[in-house]
Amino acid sequence: MHDLRTAGATPPFPAAPPPPTAGDPAPDFELVANGTATRLSSLRGSPVVLVLHNPEWDPARREQIDAFNRLLASLPAAAEQRLITVGAAHPWLELEFDTSRVALPVIRDDDGSIAQAYGVHDTPAVFVIDERGIVRWTHMGRTPPREGDIIAALTSFAARDEPRSSSWNRREFIATVLGVAASLTISPRLAVAERIAAASTAPGAARAVTLNVNGRQLRLTLEPRVSLLDALREYAGLTGTKKGCDHGQCGACTVHVDGRRTLSCLTFAMMHEGQQITTIEGLAASAGTSGNTLHPMQQAFIKHDGFQCGYCTPGQIMSASAMIHEPWGAADSDVREAMSGNICRCGAYPGIVAAIQEVRANAADGEHGQ
Amino acid sequence: MYPFQFESAASEQDAIALLGANPDARFLAGGTTLVDLMKHDVERPARVVDINQLSLTTVEEIDGGGLRIGAMVRNSDLANHPLVRERYPVLSQALLAGASPQLRNMATTGGNLLQRARCQYFRDVANACNKREPGSGCSALHGINRIHAVLGTSEQCIATHPSDMAVALAALDAIVRVRGAGGERTIPLVDFHLMPHDRPDRETRLEHGELIVSVDVPPLPFAKRSLYIKVRDRASYAFTLASAAVALDVRDGVIRAARIALGGVATKPWRVPDAESALENTSADGAAFGRAAELALSGAVAREHNAFKIELAKRTLIRALTRAAAIA
Repeated sequence: MHDLRTAGATPPFPAAPPPPTAGDPAPDFELVANGTATRLSSLRGSPVVLVLHNPEWDPARREQIDAFNRLLASLPAAAEQRLITVGAAHPWLELEFDTSRVALPVIRDDDGSIAQAYGVHDTPAVFVIDERGIVRWTHMGRTPPREGDIIAALTSFAARDEPRSSSWNRREFIATVLGVAASLTISPRLAVAERIAAASTAPGAARAVTLNVNGRQLRLTLEPRVSLLDALREYAGLTGTKKGCDHGQCGACTVHVDGRRTLSCLTFAMMHEGQQITTIEGLAASAGTSGNTLHPMQQAFIKHDGFQCGYCTPGQIMSASAMIHEPWGAADSDVREAMSGNICRCGAYPGIVAAIQEVRANAADGEHGQ
Repeated sequence: MYPFQFESAASEQDAIALLGANPDARFLAGGTTLVDLMKHDVERPARVVDINQLSLTTVEEIDGGGLRIGAMVRNSDLANHPLVRERYPVLSQALLAGASPQLRNMATTGGNLLQRARCQYFRDVANACNKREPGSGCSALHGINRIHAVLGTSEQCIATHPSDMAVALAALDAIVRVRGAGGERTIPLVDFHLMPHDRPDRETRLEHGELIVSVDVPPLPFAKRSLYIKVRDRASYAFTLASAAVALDVRDGVIRAARIALGGVATKPWRVPDAESALENTSADGAAFGRAAELALSGAVAREHNAFKIELAKRTLIRALTRAAAIA
């Protein structure tokens, strides 16, 4: 065991060490994830990406989730992957994907001691630590690092040691995301404590919510006032569902809840634990298509030019793909009535009606065994 | 949106207790009105009690031909229920004339009764509104009042009741069953909503802490000959300018009984008993329908922009009666 500088975190403002550089041992610290305490050093055998960020670089935002998803996706054959996020004043986010088993349990750095041990004060920083606990790559500065650089760092030390490279790929890949608000690292601890206390007792405080979206379990930390639409877009990184009017008048936010088309802007995310939510991202898979094959309704919209600018299109397609299972008449006028809740400013209605009628006709043919 | 405490009710008793414990609490069912108005800061509940787990989701037969509609039955399910389509086409049609398919998938029977005014001054906190803020005045009286009511108004409020479903239920003599801490009681739907008078903020007879558990529709055999006509600015997906829910019992060309309610023109679902009795034992023809329409709108008071509604409502009613009489 090497550096235990963070343990205890005694004097209020000890002189901060400089940040570790490549080749230095990574300062150890205690992680409390999902109520289980462990130490960074206990994660030896897996590389760790440690990210310290301020609120502007917030892993609960979709850009960071997208970045991490791409990062994870680009790593070869990670059989079991875990992401750990560390919040400063409040839990940030938990995501659990059934398919890839990626979780972001919440760890807290309330007193800023972890950030201090890494010499980080008011700028985001990234440390890539190898499976032996040695810092291999660092990035500090306001600009988020390119994920390609992180991947390059990881693969470089994996490739350097060929016999071990396959082992870490199959073992846990752990990215530890530390949320350290800039203001917190320079503020008295008392202020932090007060903010935590206020957040945990105020009406409307955030709590863990598990949503089943496109067949994956997403654990998000949400306030009650977060609409399903905002949860999908801003917390789960699923930006295919669009925000048009945000008042239930345009249909751009249409998703399926237990197979029924629903306006995600007029419902709170917390109301939908235990239900199956399908967004445009998961529509094709929900219909049983595989790979890159689009849902038949998506294909028909392309074929019939059922859009111009495309903004209303995810809502149109989600609405249309549910509508064909509802009791409506066969005429074009019936389709227009059934689709009246989806507004298109470009006026692509003729193509939309044609697309829907084609899918309905094909479905009817299929039922008749033709 | 202002923060609020979110509670999920596991049972009716639970829901009633959670609501009753906080005077600023609201039930949350489909959310299509409440969430919208919370985004506008028109509704600012301190506590929201989610009742979507309650099992008030069935449509059952009662009283030899009537239906008991659970408060949490979604508008789309109710509209497409075989017994509703067969026995009360006016109810199915009114539901399908309201909102959009997505909204109907969300909105509930109980929530539909409690949906709030679409008056643009009610929905905008920058304007005076006695319904939203008692005593602040009414911006609609001398504002753009094209969509406003001509029946049942007061000098405090001229907002229409926006529901189509409730207009059909008014014509069908529906009964609202509510449950509170003290037990259960029933309120006839025609008495459930209040006219504004000098308290437009009081919209129904529901007491705080009372939960709508069902809407009971009594048997009405001639309701098979019923329909709903809605006139609006667009072909679909718009609120009512004028609507009519009618059911006629016609035998040998003579009207034995009639049920008439109007929507879009009044401050509550507007049953018109005078017009109904005027039709009884008369021949089902245009002259009789015209007289009924005159009676139905006889008390109408127009404002600057909504006088057209009086004539529109008459014609809508005449057309509805004409079509109902033609149903075999």
